[in-house]
Amino acid sequence: MHPARWLVPAWAVALAVLMLGPVLGAGYLLTYDMVWVPDLALRTDFLGLGSALPRAVPSDAVVAVLDEVLPGMLLQKVVLLGALVIGGLGAARLAGRSTVARLAAVSVYVWSPYVVERLWIGHWPLLLCWAVLPWLVAEGIRLRTDARLGAALPFLLVVGSLSANAGLMAAATLLAVGVTRSNAARLVAVTVAANAPWLVAGLLHLDTATSSTSGAVFGMNAEGPLPAPLAALTLGGIWNSEVVPGSRGLLVLPLVLTVGYGALALVGARPLARRLGRRTTTALVSLWAVGYAVALLSWAVPDGLGWVAGHVPAGGLLRDGTRSLALCAPLTAALVAAGVQWCGERAPRIPVAAAGAVLPLAFMPDAAWGISGALQPADYPAEWAQARTALGAGQGDVLVLPFTSYRAPAWNHHRKVLDPLPRYLRPDYVVNDQLAVDGRIIAGEDPRVPDVLAALALPDAGDRAVALADLGVGAVARDRTVPTTSTYDAEVAGTVVFDGEDLEVTILDVPVDEREASAGSLVALGSAWAAYVALVLAGAWNTCRPISSGMPTRRRSG
Amino acid sequence: MQAFLITFASVVVGGGLAGATVVGLVNSQTAPPAQSPANVSNPTLDYGSTQ
Repeated sequence: MHPARWLVPAWAVALAVLMLGPVLGAGYLLTYDMVWVPDLALRTDFLGLGSALPRAVPSDAVVAVLDEVLPGMLLQKVVLLGALVIGGLGAARLAGRSTVARLAAVSVYVWSPYVVERLWIGHWPLLLCWAVLPWLVAEGIRLRTDARLGAALPFLLVVGSLSANAGLMAAATLLAVGVTRSNAARLVAVTVAANAPWLVAGLLHLDTATSSTSGAVFGMNAEGPLPAPLAALTLGGIWNSEVVPGSRGLLVLPLVLTVGYGALALVGARPLARRLGRRTTTALVSLWAVGYAVALLSWAVPDGLGWVAGHVPAGGLLRDGTRSLALCAPLTAALVAAGVQWCGERAPRIPVAAAGAVLPLAFMPDAAWGISGALQPADYPAEWAQARTALGAGQGDVLVLPFTSYRAPAWNHHRKVLDPLPRYLRPDYVVNDQLAVDGRIIAGEDPRVPDVLAALALPDAGDRAVALADLGVGAVARDRTVPTTSTYDAEVAGTVVFDGEDLEVTILDVPVDEREASAGSLVALGSAWAAYVALVLAGAWNTCRPISSGMPTRRRSG
Repeated sequence: MQAFLITFASVVVGGGLAGATVVGLVNSQTAPPAQSPANVSNPTLDYGSTQ
């Protein structure tokens, strides 16, 4: 094999390993919204039957099934490493055959603020979506001339649609690039099937599908001295300044990067458009425009988007505006790569190739090695497993106290994370979906949360137990290490089944009014999941068929 | 091809050294707090900050 053949895959793997660094060591990466546990138990709420908005449908259910095959710790590393490598290789595929362009495409696509910031804030389903977008572009191009569904497409759609935002972007990309008059019905059908679980679960929650109007804080944000619209041109600008790499706060580095990418995009635009053709170019430009426009709106009219989130069901999908910048990533990488190739045709190829591959790293060097050590795996305390065993499947839901959503445990290096305890335990759970940003509380959507807070405010532990049982709560798990007040924590009467140093688990001794789903909900969600599983099976069938049919027809040589 | 690999390796090593310097600087400025930022007077930990 020619060395250049393995250079691009090797570079993609090297960048992924360099970025993740310590994350690949033993332990679980727990950062903001990223929560992985040793054995995530499948429960009905993961299928979309919970009282809260189905934000983690179908990702939680998929992980719960897959970690029966692969332990949670290993699965997380496969997902994170796989996302970065697959994303890089997909970008290389979009960049054409030139090694110079392919190396640059890998670096631009992987070493981007979007990837670093979403990794840090823990939005791994979004990273998987970002990873498959260039592959969906390639599949879309193929589908315009080849009507067959193919082996890869169902898997790409499923992997890219593990959350609502991700599913919408994956669907938009495939349809924008690949839809024709003849294949429209089939493509729409497969994209709907890939998104069916969260779509149907969302429809079942329409009455609570509006979010707080205060969600305007999640709009696109400036990065250091770089204004938000400029930061977004290089795929940065996340709302949360805590997850922005320090190098993005230095004016010179991101500014020079923006100018450099802009110049390369200008010289690369014509050759790229010539190579991709009018239809694909138009689709990629349209996707870029939509992605950038949504992000820009969240910055220019945050209150407007806040109003939409607060009054239009599912309007909250728009509130973290820079999520949509994933739609800009394929064109950005392809344009810059084409620009680097243009330079390589007019200057010594080797220095140009090396510069195109390495310079994106030099402009954000602190993204290396787990974002300069910000991402460190952690081990769960031993008594968590004992508490899980003591509680078992339980009756009713488990309530975790203190009734607040985020933690910064000492065993997690004091890093913030969405409380992992509910997912660590086995029963369905009720959690506080209120969020605090800049010290301000933003209301959640789960209608049970105010009722739980009211129950905790009752003066007597027995009354609290009765009130919580009426809400479907059958057990209470308390983390004693979390600072709290009586608003978020109070004694609840019951039988203590586990009393550890840090954790206490109490089973309520009163009859629990368990939540029951309506027959209509069960039928609707059952149909959605059936369509989802059918799509996966179709992909598996399409993968196996060429192998089995190819064996007897193999030609003999000589 | 050999020249390509030598140049490539040189840029990688040079970039790595330069990067490591900046990484060290930035890392020293972004260490996590020694204590949980939540406390009894402010029990709700901030999900993030826009500042």
